[in-house]
Parts: sequence; C-alpha cells; structure tokens
Amino acid sequence: MEQVLITGMGVVNAIGHQLEDFRASLKQGKSGITAVTDDHIALKKAALLTDFDLQQSLDALPALPQPLRRHAFGMARREPLSIQLGVSVAMQAWQQANLAESPPADRQRVSLVVAGQNINQGYIYQQHERYKDELDYLPPRYGLQFMDSNHIGILSELLQIEGEGFMAGAASASGNVGIIQAVRLIQWGLADICLVVGALADMSSLEVQAFKSMGGLSASDVPCCPFDQDHDGFTYGQGSACLVLESAASAEKRQVKGLASVLGMATNLDANRLSNPSVSGEVRAMQGAMTQANVMANDVQYINAHGTASVLGDETEVAAINQLFAQSRPWVNSTKSLTGHCLYSAGVVEAVATVVQMGQGFVHPNLNLRQPIDDTCAFVGAESQAADIKVAISNSFGFGGINSSIVLGRV
Amino acid sequence: MNKEEIFAVVKKNAHEVLYFLNAEDIHIGTSLAELGANSIDRVDILTQSLADLKLKMPLLELGSAKNLVGLVDLFHQNLHSTVEAG
Repeated sequence: MEQVLITGMGVVNAIGHQLEDFRASLKQGKSGITAVTDDHIALKKAALLTDFDLQQSLDALPALPQPLRRHAFGMARREPLSIQLGVSVAMQAWQQANLAESPPADRQRVSLVVAGQNINQGYIYQQHERYKDELDYLPPRYGLQFMDSNHIGILSELLQIEGEGFMAGAASASGNVGIIQAVRLIQWGLADICLVVGALADMSSLEVQAFKSMGGLSASDVPCCPFDQDHDGFTYGQGSACLVLESAASAEKRQVKGLASVLGMATNLDANRLSNPSVSGEVRAMQGAMTQANVMANDVQYINAHGTASVLGDETEVAAINQLFAQSRPWVNSTKSLTGHCLYSAGVVEAVATVVQMGQGFVHPNLNLRQPIDDTCAFVGAESQAADIKVAISNSFGFGGINSSIVLGRV
Repeated sequence: MNKEEIFAVVKKNAHEVLYFLNAEDIHIGTSLAELGANSIDRVDILTQSLADLKLKMPLLELGSAKNLVGLVDLFHQNLHSTVEAG
C-alpha cells in the first residue's frame, strides 16, 4: 500500500500560535489553562485563545508569497474565529510542505478534509443574540458561515484545491477520523496530497453548560490532571491544527522530506450512543491500528493518550493500554494537560504534538500528575524526558462510542 | 438625510468589506461589482447600509441599481417615503 507521509504541519492553541512556539511549550511543559471569571459561562478554567491575531499569524509565514497571504487575510478577516484559525494552520502547513514553491502538479489531486461538527455554536449564539429582534439586518454572509462546510469553501478557494473535500464529524475523535479518511484518499489513489484541518470547537454557553451538567466538563478549580486521582473532567481548550498528508511518490517528485509516516490506523464504534467509553472498543482501535502498521506492542515507544482527565475516560484508557502494553510499558502522556481538550481538533493537535516529540527526541510532561491512578502505565512526570521514539500511537475517543487510533512512524 | 450623507454610509460599508481599496476608489459613478465585490459582498454591503439607515426594503429591489448613484437614489427615495409615511 502507498506510504503516506506528513510533509507539513500547522498549529494554533493556547500554548503556541506557530509550530515553533508549540514545540517549545511542549518541551517546557507550559500550560495554557487559566482561570475563567465570566459569569455567563459555566467554565472555571479553560485554555483560551485570547490573543490570536490573524495578521500577525500570516506575517509569521514569510516563505509564502505576499499575494497569497494578503488573499488569506482578506478572506478570513470578517469570518468567525474558527475560520481564521483554520486559515492560519493551513497556511503554516502549506509553507512547511513547501507547496507554494513546489506546487502539486495537478490541483485536482489535492484534497481537503476538515475535522469537526457544529463548529461555530458560539458564533451562531452570538448572531442570534445580536439579530433576534432585527432579523432583516442579519448579514447575508451568515448563510455561508453557519455551515461547517464554509471551511471547505474558503480553504479550497484560498489554496486552489480541486480534489475531494468534506467534513469529518466524530465528536472528540473527529481529528483522528479526519486523518484516517485523508490517508485513505491517498491510499486508494484518489489524491496525491490531502490537507486535514482540525477545526476549533467554538462552544456557546449552552454547550458548555450541557457538558458540565452531564458530568464531562470539570466544574472545579482543581488543575487539569489527566490520570491523577484528583481528575474530575475535561478542561475546554481552543485550538486548531493542520497536517499535509502526501504520498511518498508525490513528496519525492516535489523533493520534500517527510516529517513522519502514518503507518496504521483504525476506528470503530461501541454501538453505544452515550458518553461512557469501553475498554474493548479502545483495545480494538489500538490493536487494529498496530496490525495495519505491522508493529507489535513492544515496537511502540510512546502513546499520546486521549487522557481528558475525566474519571471514567482515564480509567478506561489505562485499562485498555495495560491490556496491550503492560509488558512493554511505552511512555504515556496527555497533551490535554497543557492545551486543554480541543475537542474536534484534538486528534490533529495531538498528531502534531506526537510528530514534534518524535522528531525532537522527548516526551512532554503530564502536568499535575501527583497521585497516578495506575502504577503500570509509564506516565511521564512533571518534567520532559528524553525519548527515542520510532513508533507512536495517538488515541482519540468520542462521545457516541467512537474510538480511533493512529500509528505514526519516524522517517 | 441627504444623498451625500447616504453615499457616505454606503462608502463606509463598502470600504469595510472591500478593505483592500483606497477610500477614494469608491466614487459615486462606480458599481459594487466594478469595485470587486462578489455576490455575497454586495448583499452584505447593502444589508449593513439598510441597517445603518434604519430602512427595510427588499434586496431584490436594490439589485436594479446600475451603480452607486442609482443605489443612493433608491435609498434616498425609500428613506423619504418612509419618513413621509411615518
């Protein structure tokens, strides 16, 4: 089967607005989570993007042609935050994959998958509040903006992408499921290059309240502490990320080096509409991805866990990891202790984090892990550790019994 | 509100959407399409101008204006008929 490489990455979240900032923050174990004091929303803490500036983010990409950056700013400046972030991360990844200087031979063989669903709830809620008494003055542009597929339209026009394009919605597994669909497009010979953009989950006070009421979201002041006995729910994080996935043949033709290889992947369902996870579904996802990658448990040096800090979620994932890896004990950490839970984009953010750690030879800290819930898992502690990672797994699990794992390999 | 003031409203909204233009490019003799506004830009500019002028009229009717002169005339006509009716 065609080897699929990651040739470009982009990321914006509370610990980094560009890849280099993100790498440094991972290494230092910097947390982007801060206290929230807004009485209108049921958040006590979150990793929010309070200081993102579209123009600055585009100015930081000097290798991209000025007309392209100007066009990006023009298209995104009046759009919701999710679009601005999507444009920023896609442009970063486009630059790193050298797609401006060495463009694809055929733009009809470039595809686009945007991971997420109901992306702009916060924006939609704001528009409702603003225009509910004067609907005649609602900007007509809203007719494009309220649909998630606005991401597809804007990014495809900006980057002149003419292959397949669609949304991948799978709750908190959206990012991984998006990557999986993109890899398949390349492996099936339908595309040479596919961008995967993990979209910001822009939640309104309604979604936040519902997540809190159903017990998923941490409603306390306790610091986000995946796999610690004090864990009490996920902490919301804002972020977006992008991968450029490319066939090895295309990368060779364009003379672009791969940053990592997608060796295997699997996604499955628990046949359960609720939010409770299952050990068997998570084992099946990790085992399925390893089987496709043709690797054994002792070939894996690192697991980027889903690790949301929810009580049942952490316990379930630890049980699944121990079922497969109790003997080999790869490093385990949760990027969410630094970035918060970026929901739809989490899988893509954490794929970027995995590739960064693999490339730089370290594993980042698990912040606030004082009393681990398990003694078998090799959790990273409060400091980064040097690690020689040749093969890694990244997990993402979503409400509605959606499990997904990808196996990444160093190139 | 006179036509000059109405044009100032339209010009402000056109410049907000078509930010890459110089303000002096937006003159009364041109049309939104000639200024580079796409179909969504045009209806956004028209809707925001209606909001600023506190006018309610069908966007389809505004589509009959060939240029900004015609648009300002339509706004002026409706503004004053609204005032008179009120």
